[in-house]
Amino acid sequence: MPQWIATLLLMAGSTAFTFAQGGAPHPDLSGYWELRFDSFNVPRASLTAAAQTAAEARRKKDLDAIRGCANIGMPALMNDRETLDIRQSASVIGMVAKSPSSTRYIYTDGRTHPDAEELEGTTNGHSVGRWQGEALLVDTVGFNDRGITAVPGGGYRTARSHLVERYQLSSDGQQLTVTFTWTDPAVFRRAHSYAFRYHKVPAVTEPRVLNCIPNDAERARFLSEAPMPLRF
Amino acid sequence: MIVAALAVASPAAAQHPDLSGMWIVQDPGSGDWQAWFDNVPKPQLRPEIVKDNEELAARDRAGYVVNRAPRTADCPVGNLPMMMASSPPLNIVASNEEVLIGAESNRGRFIYTDGRPHPDVNSPSYVPSGFGHSIGRWEGDTLVIDTIGFPRRVCDSRKPVMVTPGGGRAKETTHLIEHYRLVSPDELSVTFTWEDPTVLLAPHTYSYTYKRLRDGTPIENNDEPTAATQQKYITDQIESK
Repeated sequence: MPQWIATLLLMAGSTAFTFAQGGAPHPDLSGYWELRFDSFNVPRASLTAAAQTAAEARRKKDLDAIRGCANIGMPALMNDRETLDIRQSASVIGMVAKSPSSTRYIYTDGRTHPDAEELEGTTNGHSVGRWQGEALLVDTVGFNDRGITAVPGGGYRTARSHLVERYQLSSDGQQLTVTFTWTDPAVFRRAHSYAFRYHKVPAVTEPRVLNCIPNDAERARFLSEAPMPLRF
Repeated sequence: MIVAALAVASPAAAQHPDLSGMWIVQDPGSGDWQAWFDNVPKPQLRPEIVKDNEELAARDRAGYVVNRAPRTADCPVGNLPMMMASSPPLNIVASNEEVLIGAESNRGRFIYTDGRPHPDVNSPSYVPSGFGHSIGRWEGDTLVIDTIGFPRRVCDSRKPVMVTPGGGRAKETTHLIEHYRLVSPDELSVTFTWEDPTVLLAPHTYSYTYKRLRDGTPIENNDEPTAATQQKYITDQIESK
């Protein structure tokens, strides 16, 4: 962004930009974001033979996580059907989904990932971000295999998965395009990329936490029993 | 370009101290949770609250230390006074229009700093959480947070009511005012003032100090029930009826 525009925005007291530690203004991704019917560009992933074999077992494991109201984790957090709340400060970005999940933190303060032996795997992994022009590049490692592990287009997250994301705000600030690239030699034959486009929505009101009840018998039955074929 | 850029600009916003980061409460070494939780200036409680506290303490002594209220979809989520006093570090993300406060990687409070008012918390459409409804504004270098809309009862904590430090209550009639101020880059002071004429004879004020945990990585609560444990929950529930 040209310096004079940044200066003008500062004079206007804009909150559309945040300042990194070091001073350069960046687009502010903060807001409530929703996916719509035309938000998905998801090619089919090229899976290893092992991943194809494991697909059904993974599907059942993910279903168990849903039944148990487990933290959904990445990448499910990013395709939650409900509004995604993104909050950006100069040093960290927080992302909160409505479905059961931990808050996702993306550190933009220049830190690197902890050493692998010190990093306890989580459903969201450990994310660090850096700005490349007006786009935010995010690098995530340190996943575990809990929660919903399914990756859009096929495949699943493992402890060895590596995710790179690119966040690009539209010029009017109303759309956020996120490109995801997963690599994991145990799951994908080659890097698997797909993109979502989020739409900004007005402020939403509380509550934004789904109170998931794992011991709801009727819910568990709905999720676990195969639907009966219908005849009219 | 300039029109588009200005279109996303919000009304004037002064630069404020950035409270973002992980913060760990400074327990002066009280030894156990209850001692720490009550290590505040003594609140002036109404007689009926004193009596209720005595009954709760008697239940504890008798071994009834689990809140057995049924866990249903309308159970309020969260417990503000407990989270703010607990040892898991607070995790704060302070954006211009909203501040997130969780503990470790758990979701927690949403503090709206975009100028919105509280909703009508007496409306049937308002669903209370244990974090209440919070709005904030900056007064100089201090973030002042105003919270109302607590639930009448809770079902996911040890006691059936939400207890505040010193033995007060957070409930549907309670009003909390907090003042957040960075004393230094690595020290955060939070002053809490609870008001509720049905609980307190006078407002109850105390302060906590939090130290910054630099480069901290939040721990995730990974208690993921398996299908087998869920089935046990369900079986237990059926058998208890």
